[in-house]
Amino acid sequence: MIKVENVSVKYKTDSDMYTAIANVNLEIPDGGTCAVIGPSGCGKSTLLKCIAGLIPEYEGQVYINGEEVNPRVQTIGFMPQNYGLLPWKTVVDNIRLGMKIKKAPELLDRNVIKQLMRQLGIEGLGHRYPVELSGGQQQRVALARVFALQPDVLLMDEPFSALDAITREEMQDIFLNLWRKFNVSTIFVTHYVEEALYLGQKIVVLSAHTGGISQIVDNPLFGGKDIRKKQEFFEMGLKLRNLIKKDWNQIWENQ
Amino acid sequence: MGKSVSVWYLAAAVFLTIVWWIASEIVQLPIIPSPLLVAENMSDIFMDYIAIHSIYSLWRIAAGLLLAVVVGLPLGVIMGYFPKWDRFLSPLVYLTYPIPKIALLPILMLLFGVGESSKIIMIFLIILFQVVVAVRDGIRAIPRETLYPLYSLGAGFKDIFFEVLWPASLPKFITAIRVALATAISVLFFTETFGTRYGMGYFIMDAWLRVNYLEMYSGIVVLSLIGLVLFTTIDLIEQHACHWQYK
Repeated sequence: MIKVENVSVKYKTDSDMYTAIANVNLEIPDGGTCAVIGPSGCGKSTLLKCIAGLIPEYEGQVYINGEEVNPRVQTIGFMPQNYGLLPWKTVVDNIRLGMKIKKAPELLDRNVIKQLMRQLGIEGLGHRYPVELSGGQQQRVALARVFALQPDVLLMDEPFSALDAITREEMQDIFLNLWRKFNVSTIFVTHYVEEALYLGQKIVVLSAHTGGISQIVDNPLFGGKDIRKKQEFFEMGLKLRNLIKKDWNQIWENQ
Repeated sequence: MGKSVSVWYLAAAVFLTIVWWIASEIVQLPIIPSPLLVAENMSDIFMDYIAIHSIYSLWRIAAGLLLAVVVGLPLGVIMGYFPKWDRFLSPLVYLTYPIPKIALLPILMLLFGVGESSKIIMIFLIILFQVVVAVRDGIRAIPRETLYPLYSLGAGFKDIFFEVLWPASLPKFITAIRVALATAISVLFFTETFGTRYGMGYFIMDAWLRVNYLEMYSGIVVLSLIGLVLFTTIDLIEQHACHWQYK
């Protein structure tokens, strides 16, 4: 379970303080997924970094499985927008890197990695370098890397946004399959309403206006078959879009 | 090094020798002797006279280089990774970097004597700045995002250094050494004309003063070969250590 309690993050600039997120409260049950969506500059990535333990100073508390977040204690899988693969490591070494850092030899099970790579369709690419891979393949390696760790939490920053529309939908299905298999609590940030609807059990709409949560939507469409083609999917998407737009307009009115 | 690369090195050597030979035929003066005569002279005197000088020069380069790496690499890493240190150290580096190091030679010779140490420190100073700036910039160019997955797993500085900082800055580090080495060799030549009876600089200048042009040219050829050996060694190290770059 991931619990975010009254979290605010403020950045100091030369002249004053800038509030990136303010009073965020959020709870994600074990093995759930949560999409964080909102206009650019609303602090989506800041919230994610905060849960990842990457921001040293913040107000409030973040708990993972009842303990305060600490990268050394919990296993936190973080997948950045640029996939975070190291260009000087082969695919296999990139996948293993997390385990090496976590000093978890019991995870260094060749079979797990092999199985994951097969499942992701990258089993033949183990000795290649990231530059030799397409964007979609790099994305698969990044997924293999985080899932191989069997993390307590999986955090993804704009996970599939650099891919073309068709590859993106394919990757979303691959992600869902892996998620079902490994049952990892996942929070991801996206600016695609459709992605939030397809992958998020819970959809958190952040407001750039207040820096806080403007709405949490329990997604009734999650997990349905072929929901992308259904009328409800479009309607729900429109609703979300309007919510985000309303927030934007508020900013302009205030200025 | 691949076979095709070696062929091109050979071709370059042949081309330069032909140009030299044509020049010697046209000028017909002792100041430009025929390459054939120089080659003959070199094979006669290399083991007896030149080898010891080239070893001295190589030792000075190696010592200066090693010192520059030992000091410059950590300094570059600190400056690239910790912005606070960079803010403090960058002005120091930028103020001292443009000083022509050769201008410091008289000071170095007064402080460290005319012997080995002033020559080695000279090479050290020339290579140091290039290494510091290259390593710092190499580390600065790493996107923060790339480090997040490692931080979120609780990676310490040791992990970050060996898995990311070192491999990321290695290509720039090697390039810096390659660039600085050429300057270092020319400055070494100059410093070897003072206070020593050994080194390629001494050998060439001595031959010149004795108006022994054949020996002077032999020395120049050996110096050029030393450069070739150093540069190809660096190339080989780079190809081995940074092969991911050539994919």
